[in-house]
Amino acid sequence: MSGTLRFLLASWKVNLASALEYRLSFFLLAGMMFVNNTIWLFFWYLFFARFPVVSGWEIGDVMLLWAVSAGGFGWASVLFGNFPRIATIVSSGQLDVYLSQPKPVLLNMLTSRMSVTGAGDFAFGLIVFLWAGDLTPRGCLLFACALLLAGVLFIGVMAIAGSLAFWIGNAEGIASQVFGGFISLTIYPTGIFRGAAKVILFTVVPAGFIGYMPIGLMREFDPGFAAAAFCAAAIFSACGALLFRVGLARYASGNAMTMRN
Amino acid sequence: MSRTARILLGAGRKQLAVVRIALRQQWAYKADFLLRSCFLLLILYVLGQLYGAAYEGDYERAIGGFTLRQIVWYLVFTEAITMAGPPVGIRIEEEVKSGDIAVRLTRPLSYVGYHYGSYLGEGALRFFVLLLAGGIVAWLSVGLPTLDYGLLAYLPLAMLGLTLSFLMTAAVGLCAFWVEETRGLEFVVQKLQFTAGGLLIPINLMPEWLQRVCAWLPFQAALYLPARLGVRFDGEEMLRACSLQFAWIAALSLLVAFIFRRGVGKLHVNGG
Repeated sequence: MSGTLRFLLASWKVNLASALEYRLSFFLLAGMMFVNNTIWLFFWYLFFARFPVVSGWEIGDVMLLWAVSAGGFGWASVLFGNFPRIATIVSSGQLDVYLSQPKPVLLNMLTSRMSVTGAGDFAFGLIVFLWAGDLTPRGCLLFACALLLAGVLFIGVMAIAGSLAFWIGNAEGIASQVFGGFISLTIYPTGIFRGAAKVILFTVVPAGFIGYMPIGLMREFDPGFAAAAFCAAAIFSACGALLFRVGLARYASGNAMTMRN
Repeated sequence: MSRTARILLGAGRKQLAVVRIALRQQWAYKADFLLRSCFLLLILYVLGQLYGAAYEGDYERAIGGFTLRQIVWYLVFTEAITMAGPPVGIRIEEEVKSGDIAVRLTRPLSYVGYHYGSYLGEGALRFFVLLLAGGIVAWLSVGLPTLDYGLLAYLPLAMLGLTLSFLMTAAVGLCAFWVEETRGLEFVVQKLQFTAGGLLIPINLMPEWLQRVCAWLPFQAALYLPARLGVRFDGEEMLRACSLQFAWIAALSLLVAFIFRRGVGKLHVNGG
């Protein structure tokens, strides 16, 4: 266990050093993502200026939604930057390099890349929380829990979608659609969805858990929702890891010469 | 037939041939753009839900001159134009950086004209597929739009909108002659289109001060005007929108031609 932890820390340190090697590029890319998210918030400002309350949601709630969604996605992308690329790595035979190393394959693959734009997302999440969030110790703790759960859900869902590549080969298209679709569903208030769509968002595609966190976890702490979100994060990440492990037995590749990236 | 007319006819034929080739090439990647349309369906569904909640499901209420049905169709129209455009800026940037532009320049065909033909060929096919897919979602969720001249007006205005999008992206891509990395600039243009173009929220619904700012920018002529006239037709406004689009096309064409001439003048390609 402590060996794995040391390995993770070493990986993150190397990734950070590598990203900071091109400092200007690092800050430009992270800054671009920050600007991108700010423009989205500007859209929400325009929207709520015209419709002040939508299904009980106000601009402050949507700001917190963005803080959780971008922040959760951000830390997951910084620490486990390959999670949206599992399908690409598997289908292009780049997994060989991780198989040859005496470390847990999935963990090794996930941590071998740091997303620079993810750093911008994470910074954005923190700043928006500082601006619109509850800055009491309780509020900060709940925000940290929301970030943790959101990040784990992002990784779990993409691990499941990416592992499909072991069975259907070129799953890049499906995985990228799942990725884009999942992110899109986490940046809108869950209150706007009704009926079957709402059920789907809290079961098959667990984006609803991320979207509802500003209300169910941070505004009015609902123990039932908190427990459900925790279970969803645990189930989706466990399923992702299990599916990857089962799929790995089916993995075959050519003699592609690859390097860790 | 005069010599000028023959030259123009020849250039037109070449242009059409490029459009035809781009169309056929795009047809070969059917799966890719069908996947793109799946994403559009999801976005439209989510936005439909968002505006449905904002209007509280009331189909009669008009806000800023738009009913719920009109808003949903407006979004179909803006998204179809936005998602149809191929990434021409990136292509130009790569050609300049790799030196491939030298091969294109030796051909008896305008460089920008080639990219425009290719953009229109690819973009038109994607546009119609996206419009069809988005239209089905809108039809199922809010019903058909008002059947008047709006739909007829939308198609030519959307094509002019695509032309405007091409010119804006090409102008940014051609900056690669000086700065090599143009993605940042393209990102800014995209985001301006997102807000000042009225992609997700009609400009009429924005605050007064922002409406005044948007009126001075070309983005609304590319997205907002075609989509608004598509859902709410008005003959006089149609003429005004067309004039504005042509004026921006003329201004941006001059800008693109200027950037291209200056850029090509300082081009050095080593090896080959």
